Amino acid sequence: MNLKKYKQVRVAVALFVAATVSTAVTNNNRLLAVTGVLVGMLFMIIARSKTKIRIDEREKAVREKAAQYTYAIFAPTVGLASFLLFTFGRDHLYLVALGQVLAYLTLFLISLYALSYYYFNQKYGGRVDE
Amino acid sequence: MNNKVRVFRSMRGLTQEQLAEQLEVSRQTVIAIESSRYLPSLPLAFKLAKLFNCRIEELFFTNGSSK
Repeated sequence: MNLKKYKQVRVAVALFVAATVSTAVTNNNRLLAVTGVLVGMLFMIIARSKTKIRIDEREKAVREKAAQYTYAIFAPTVGLASFLLFTFGRDHLYLVALGQVLAYLTLFLISLYALSYYYFNQKYGGRVDE
Repeated sequence: MNNKVRVFRSMRGLTQEQLAEQLEVSRQTVIAIESSRYLPSLPLAFKLAKLFNCRIEELFFTNGSSK
């Protein structure tokens, strides 16, 4: 299976899962939703195993850049949103709660970034004591 | 940074697809390297030089050092 065929299969599977899950939600049928998702996952695993997906170094560089920009934009935005919700939403309990959730999310993001930075820094020779 | 990948490829009568196949990268990567929009890693540069049977400096050069 070539990449074009794989992409077509992926769209078909996504449509199938979306249709199944929406039908399941409409009929309040949890089993159908779970089955739909599982069948979709199974199809994707089979399609992936039959396709030679090439992720080369340029693709990796693009992904790294995209992740870097996503973090650089998302973390301050969520942090600022949390600050604004805390500051201007004092009278509304749910706004303060949302601000709290966003604040923890920002902290989680920063911690995750710091941990992965430390790991990759060590991996790529960041130790100074050697 | 410029390169002569397109020239070397044409001299060997390879298509971008064939070169990509031999380098085990995508065709988009070959296009990006040829148009100097992407600098390949050192292993890929070595692979290119080996494939074209030339030195890396003959393939890649800074703007002032074209041979």
